[in-house]
Amino acid sequence: MAATVITITSGKGGVGKTTTTANLSVALAAQGKKVVAIDADIGLRNLDVVLGLENRIVYDLVDVVEGVCRLRQAMIKDKRVNELYLIPAAQSRDKTAVTPQDMIELTDQLRDEFDFILIDSPAGIEQGFKNAIAPADRVLIVTTPEMSAVRDADRIIGLIESEEKGPGDLIINRLRIDMVRRGDMLGTDDVIDVLAINLIGIVPDDEAIIVSTNRGRPVTLENHSQAGQAFKNIARRVMGENVPFIKLEEDDTFFKRLSRKLGIRN
Amino acid sequence: MDRITIKGTSDGLIVYLGAGAWSRLMEELEAHLSQKASFFKGGRVALHVGPRRLTTPQLESVGELLIRHNVSLWAIESDSPSTQSAAAELGLEVSLSPRQVTDWTARILPQGNSLVIQRTLRSGQVINHPGHVVIIGDVNPGAEIRAGGSVVVWGRLRGMVHAGLGEEGIKAVVCALQFSPTQLRISSLIARSPAEDDSRDNLPEMASVQNNQIVAEAWQK
Ligand SMILES: Nc1ncnc2c1ncn2[C@@H]1O[C@H](COP(=O)(O)OP(=O)(O)O)[C@@H](O)[C@H]1O
Ligand SMILES: [Mg+2]
Repeated sequence: MAATVITITSGKGGVGKTTTTANLSVALAAQGKKVVAIDADIGLRNLDVVLGLENRIVYDLVDVVEGVCRLRQAMIKDKRVNELYLIPAAQSRDKTAVTPQDMIELTDQLRDEFDFILIDSPAGIEQGFKNAIAPADRVLIVTTPEMSAVRDADRIIGLIESEEKGPGDLIINRLRIDMVRRGDMLGTDDVIDVLAINLIGIVPDDEAIIVSTNRGRPVTLENHSQAGQAFKNIARRVMGENVPFIKLEEDDTFFKRLSRKLGIRN
Repeated sequence: MDRITIKGTSDGLIVYLGAGAWSRLMEELEAHLSQKASFFKGGRVALHVGPRRLTTPQLESVGELLIRHNVSLWAIESDSPSTQSAAAELGLEVSLSPRQVTDWTARILPQGNSLVIQRTLRSGQVINHPGHVVIIGDVNPGAEIRAGGSVVVWGRLRGMVHAGLGEEGIKAVVCALQFSPTQLRISSLIARSPAEDDSRDNLPEMASVQNNQIVAEAWQK
């Protein structure tokens, strides 16, 4: 078996990287895949909380890198699905405790045994991002439909391209169709128009996410939430299936509505 | 099979470098250059390197090797973005642009040292070039171009452009197929007063300096 290493990143914080990593990991495992989720957000770990595995942490990523424990000892098994493991981030260290080379070596040890290795990247473009991206075979870029998040996503895509990790695939998270219709939010087309990369998923803004995050039960474990369905679709697209998008009606693009011209006087 | 192929075109010589260790290829190139000195002499060369990742120092040393044999290197064609940006850093053309684009560009830009970039400039990417800058792609919000001469964007211009920083000054122009820069400067002038009218948003426009202010008008190719 040769695993695919997928890094989930965004540039901007708080747009849904951790939520995406948790839900895709669960959805892929539910499809019978062997999955490891790695929290690379050292110092701000929370993938464990979203997955509801916080109380079982003994060792973490930094312990593995520093040889304090064996890799297997730091892998927490999620008992709700078949083959899903979490390697948590260290809470009390900073991003310099791990190097890009460490990440490559660590994932190489896991590649033979798993189908997917998902890495939750920290925000920003510094060392933590470089660590997360170093072993990636594929990159998923998460953005919300806000100008500032899209701008940061564009920046990150530029960096990913210069690392020759391809432009990556895009997930638009927290979309609110009612707001797009009113002209108060960027629509899918507006975001794609700027970023010009392949869209792999649209996740609606959904209260169920907040409830599930508090309970440590990712929405993909439930059957009825919209966001859960969206993440399941993304998982199938990641596996190479052709899952159609639900086409949402949008008229004029935001840029047309908003754009202002420069340079013309009189 | 030969790892180095050389073709003559009306644009000068094109040297194709195949697979293999870079140092070996350089030795072979050197051998070609000495054996066929009269063929190469005084000419200019575009180097095709395929997907190979090359650093700025590597490109510099191949440029120096060519110069020693009286040949100048003017363009690098590569599929690798890092090679492209290394080449762009040295002011080399990064692509043999499609014929049509070159023809149109030649009409707008006076002779001189232009940098051609065949990709979209993303947020945070900055291009600084003493001559003209031609982008075959979009210039996204958050990207920045600072050019001594004019700037031509064969795509959407939504970032920031400062043209005419060099001798050309207010004679510089800025054109784009879709024209909505975040900020536009030519020499020491700043374009101001965004018009409410956006009916021409999707049409090609050219900005130039007239009566000491920046004016944008339809760009008739
Ligand atoms: N689709 C969504 N609908 C509603 N809330 C969401 C959604 N995605 C993420 N959130 C909320 O946004 C916040 C930030 O998400 P998180 O995944 O931690 O972002 P990041 O890892 O990028 O910092 C969390 O409180 C999360 O519950
Ligand atoms: Mg996070």
